Amino acid sequence: MRGWHIGETSQRLHSSNNQQRIHRLLLLSLLPVSIVALFNVGYQYISGLANTLERGSDDLAGRVVQALGASHQDPGFYDYLIAGLAHMGPILIVALITGAAWERLIAERRQRPFEPGFIVIALLFTLLLPGAAPLSHVIFGMSFAILVGKGIFGGEGKTFLSPALLAIAIVQISFPAVTSQNPLWQGLSGYTGSDAIALYHRGGEAALAAVDINLWSALIGSTPGPIGTTSVLAVLLGAAILLFTRIIAWRLLLAQIIGLVVTATLFNLLTADSGAGAMPAYWHILLGSFAFGAIYLACDPVASSCTNPGRWIQGFLIGALVVLIRVANPTHPDAVIPVILLASILAPLIDHAVITINIRRRARRHV
Amino acid sequence: MGIEPETTPQQTTDPLPETGSNEFHPVTRVALLGRDYRGINFELLCKEGDQVKAGSPLMRDARRPQILFTAPTSGKLSKIERGKRRKLVSLQVDLDSSQDSHRFELAGTQDKASLRALMLESGLWSALRTRPFGNIPDPDGEPAAIFVTAMESEILAPAPLPVINSFAAEFRAATNALAEISEATVYVCHASSSSPPVDAAEKLLPVPFAEGHSSGLPGVHINALCPIGFGGREVWHIGYQDVISLGHLLLHGTAWMERVISIDGPAVQNPRTLRVTPGASIIQLLESDSFQGPVQILSGSALRGQVAMGSEAYLGARHHQITVLPETGDHSKSSRQATAGVLIPTDELESLAPPGIYPVPFMRALQVGDVDRARDLGALELVEEDMAMLSFACVSKSDYGLLLRNVLNQLEGAG
Repeated sequence: MRGWHIGETSQRLHSSNNQQRIHRLLLLSLLPVSIVALFNVGYQYISGLANTLERGSDDLAGRVVQALGASHQDPGFYDYLIAGLAHMGPILIVALITGAAWERLIAERRQRPFEPGFIVIALLFTLLLPGAAPLSHVIFGMSFAILVGKGIFGGEGKTFLSPALLAIAIVQISFPAVTSQNPLWQGLSGYTGSDAIALYHRGGEAALAAVDINLWSALIGSTPGPIGTTSVLAVLLGAAILLFTRIIAWRLLLAQIIGLVVTATLFNLLTADSGAGAMPAYWHILLGSFAFGAIYLACDPVASSCTNPGRWIQGFLIGALVVLIRVANPTHPDAVIPVILLASILAPLIDHAVITINIRRRARRHV
Repeated sequence: MGIEPETTPQQTTDPLPETGSNEFHPVTRVALLGRDYRGINFELLCKEGDQVKAGSPLMRDARRPQILFTAPTSGKLSKIERGKRRKLVSLQVDLDSSQDSHRFELAGTQDKASLRALMLESGLWSALRTRPFGNIPDPDGEPAAIFVTAMESEILAPAPLPVINSFAAEFRAATNALAEISEATVYVCHASSSSPPVDAAEKLLPVPFAEGHSSGLPGVHINALCPIGFGGREVWHIGYQDVISLGHLLLHGTAWMERVISIDGPAVQNPRTLRVTPGASIIQLLESDSFQGPVQILSGSALRGQVAMGSEAYLGARHHQITVLPETGDHSKSSRQATAGVLIPTDELESLAPPGIYPVPFMRALQVGDVDRARDLGALELVEEDMAMLSFACVSKSDYGLLLRNVLNQLEGAG
């Protein structure tokens, strides 16, 4: 913002808090998620090799894995790491380069300082994509995030929606039927990573157990899904950092969980069968990308509601709608991205209502 | 409740046994600072070189000539400093040894009119502040409530209760008198762990507040007890040492020529609590201190204090502490502007906001200078000091106090 001189400041002390510190803390909180993601992508690929095909896929990543000697025969740390790097690395690097290029262009054209915020956006976007996402989709999503999500609103701190959320949403909307051409990625069809939820809907816990998904594997994240959203444990670790440093609002996070638990429990009570409505709240949290989305997308401080009552309302709305759409609309088994997008768009409206009530209350109360 | 003037006033410079641990630090120069009385156009009543007595008038408000500003001590008016547009910077008095005090007539000061007249004549009226805006109230104004701030929210400031207790009679007399100067209730706001000497009555109520980082601010008390801003009324508030000063005047007929302050801060090797003359020269108070490296000296707290430099290096009128900070040298040019960066609405801001205020919408309204919006969101309840914590924590490095004053000036002008 352009400074406007209206007098000499008397404020002598400012905390060491600044935008760079917030970026660093966000990256730090994403570190455990990223490490788990790297190995899980490798693990999923290697397991896919073992289950379906003798030789790897013949795309670039597959050839790299083969050339470096990683295989499904007696797989270990090295094999998972190589396979993970071969799949996650190109996506992240392309996202970073795309983001940096656009930021550079914006900085030059509009004579603003170069903003390093694209690093967090690129990492978040990467973690939301499936491991087999085509790089053209990465470039498309990242360009959209920087230009439409951030640039046209004036840069960091002035965004209306979380840019990473916008990127994954536009990719999901634009390429809804994309499944990898690669048969190895059976478990990772499409961009929503919702197969586990769809499986539960069809066959309950037994269907999940058949593909080795149990409470423990869903918690640590050794399940198929988008690159970074499978491990609820790693996401919780990152959330602890962001809550402790008070970057994200605990009310917004708690309200989402309350909304989810209340709605899921209501459905459990109302539906007797073993279908979608019977899915207990803990499976709603463990499966799909709810945990990741709730913390890293919905709690984006800039794009979420900015009053405390608004945070409670917005959070409850997200939690409730995620369960509602998961249960009532089988074509959207995950629902997290569209719901958070909807709630983020509604945030200014919620704030407006909250502030109007506050102003009326002030007018009534004051002498 | 009658106030009995003491017939044999004691010498005000006698060492007071109750504050025995607090040494009196003499200085040879004191000053009144123009910046302590924002918006006042001073009219001088004396000239350089005049002899003045403690309590004798030096200046008055040009717009409201009943409001007088009096000498804190006896001596010679040595210098009148003016700054830009001839605005008064400081009015300096060199002390002499006469200890001469102007004696005020106390007979018949029990009713509203005579009490107000005494406060105006003695210069103590200028210790009152209005909310909204933080001005000196009009001599015939009627507040909706009067708040006595008998607690402290600044770190490293002296604890109010020992000071109040050592002047219990003065405090009692003054709070009783404040209940008489208007129809409004007087709230004596104190920390919940202590209770000040107050004759509680229908119009005089001690109110405990939980201690916390900003809970000693008048804005917090006003919001809890008598919120203002939309009905057109105003409330008044006054600090506990000014209340003691009023009590001293009522009991002894002379102004209280002391303030209890602390000298502290990361750069101070010998933190201490002192009794000093109001407006004392900070350079002289710190002459025995040695500092390592460059320091920044503030009258007031680290968060809300004002830089004490040059002709403004004197204890501010409502300050109870002097803070010395190591000079970090990061007051870059960007931090001298009102808004520097972009606001990131982190959760931290919520707990630092004044009560009843939604910090993020309010800070945004201030940043863009949206006067109507800021008013709707509670600007009239606040003054600069209420925004200090938000300015401290916000990543934008904006000075929301300054932005708020900009908004208040426009609201006051629209009036």
